[in-house]
Amino acid sequence: MSDQKQSSGLPAWVMYILGPLFMVGGFWVSVNVTHGNIKSLEEQGIPLDPGKTLAVIGVFLILFKVIESFYIMPLRDAIGTRNSDLESTFSEAENLRTQMADLKTDYERRLAATEADAREKIQAQIKEAQELRKTLMGEASAKADELVKRAQDEIAQERDRALAGIRLHVANLTLQATEKILSENMDNDRNRKLIDEFLDKVEVPTA
Amino acid sequence: MNMTGQGLGIGIGLAALGVGLGLGLIGYSALQGMARQPEAIGKLQTVMLIALAFVELVFLLTVFIVPGSMGAFNR
Amino acid sequence: MSGLLQTGLTLLASAEESHGEGGHHGTSFIGLFVYLGLTLLVLFVLLQSAKMGFKDRVFTRKTTSWFEQVYLFVEGMCVNIIGPHGRKYTPFIITFWLVIFVSNAVGLFMASTPTADLGFNLGMALISIGYVQWEGIGTNGVFGHFKHFAGPKLGLAMIPITLMIFVIEIISEAIKNVSLSLRLFGNIEGGHLAVEAMNKLGEPFYIPIGFFLLPIKVLTVVVQALIFTLLTCVYISLVTHHEEEHHDEHALEPTHA
Repeated sequence: MSDQKQSSGLPAWVMYILGPLFMVGGFWVSVNVTHGNIKSLEEQGIPLDPGKTLAVIGVFLILFKVIESFYIMPLRDAIGTRNSDLESTFSEAENLRTQMADLKTDYERRLAATEADAREKIQAQIKEAQELRKTLMGEASAKADELVKRAQDEIAQERDRALAGIRLHVANLTLQATEKILSENMDNDRNRKLIDEFLDKVEVPTA
Repeated sequence: MNMTGQGLGIGIGLAALGVGLGLGLIGYSALQGMARQPEAIGKLQTVMLIALAFVELVFLLTVFIVPGSMGAFNR
Repeated sequence: MSGLLQTGLTLLASAEESHGEGGHHGTSFIGLFVYLGLTLLVLFVLLQSAKMGFKDRVFTRKTTSWFEQVYLFVEGMCVNIIGPHGRKYTPFIITFWLVIFVSNAVGLFMASTPTADLGFNLGMALISIGYVQWEGIGTNGVFGHFKHFAGPKLGLAMIPITLMIFVIEIISEAIKNVSLSLRLFGNIEGGHLAVEAMNKLGEPFYIPIGFFLLPIKVLTVVVQALIFTLLTCVYISLVTHHEEEHHDEHALEPTHA
């Protein structure tokens, strides 16, 4: 676009000089020159004045340059600057957009990583808790078993002791009774038989 | 109104008839082309306008030249 | 109000009528320049108003965006018809476009207008065709440009035909001037005459029938500006296209009525 800015043609100063010359010449022709052909054209309904034509050529010679240099060139420049402005704005926006996209993907990636991390941690905690529960339960049941066992042992011991105590007591009682009986009628056969029988009876549960 | 005037009216009317037919044909074919190829509308419009201009010029030439020549014949 | 203005300007136009006996149309030299001055005044006011909006980052000013639209339209037309090198003709073409358009638009409201004057239109046509010759000579050289008139190469035996083609082409070149100017003149002046005739038709009933022709006249305003510039573009493209496609061109060349 920039290499073809100026339209080809005569240079501007020639146009600016030729234009008024043409205008003045046209006026002179319009006032002074009358030709038969023009008259007959006018009779035909075609009003042609060569002076006007000449003058108009002059006007246009000036007009081209004026409009081109005062209005078309600024418009072109304005359109060019506006376009480059818009382009730069667009490229800026595009840059920002790509930056935003980068940031977003980064953020998303980090978010995903954090999420995965958190999930992993939670899973680990859950697993740990489960293991803990298992060990605790094992320990508790072992303790309970031990307690039961100990209690059973104790009960057995107590029972043994009680039995021993009772046996002692019974033996003592028997001894006392025996003593009493002995002291009265030791020789009595029948009594001896009774004691034996009694002792047999007492001793049965210990077997 | 004399005979010349009547002849003038008929002649210009005939010219208008012919030019009207020509314009109609151009519009007809241009519309058909545009309907068949909507993507070529821009080019067709340009060519159509040029054709319209040439047809129209025939009528203008008639209008401006016939009265003068009639006057010349009558003279 | 505008009716009053129109009557006043009609009086002005009739007062300035050339040589007193010139019939109903055609203003004098001074009359033409009064109307041309008016046209250029309107044009430059619009352009100046458009220029004030150039500094904006985005063209929000109405006239500026209109001017930009016109510029882009004409540039598109030049590039489409003339080819990629046609952009440099845009200022030339757009000047014609603007002057003809504004002048035609002024003619909608005024009794006369520059484009309703054959002398004015012939001047524009002469500039247009003269510029085409200038460009043709600039692109092809003097000899090349005139060789273009002689048509395709036909060999020695066909020299009379080549000569005939040469003469016909020269005549057609001259007729282009007449056709360009007469078309514009006929359309604008014909519109004025049609409005006058229809107004006369409605005079007994006090109805300005000619007023109802306004839509057609508005259409004419744009179309005539377009056609003048379009044909100028076509003529320029015919003489400057040669480097690439010399052979296809003569087949496509429209007959110059």
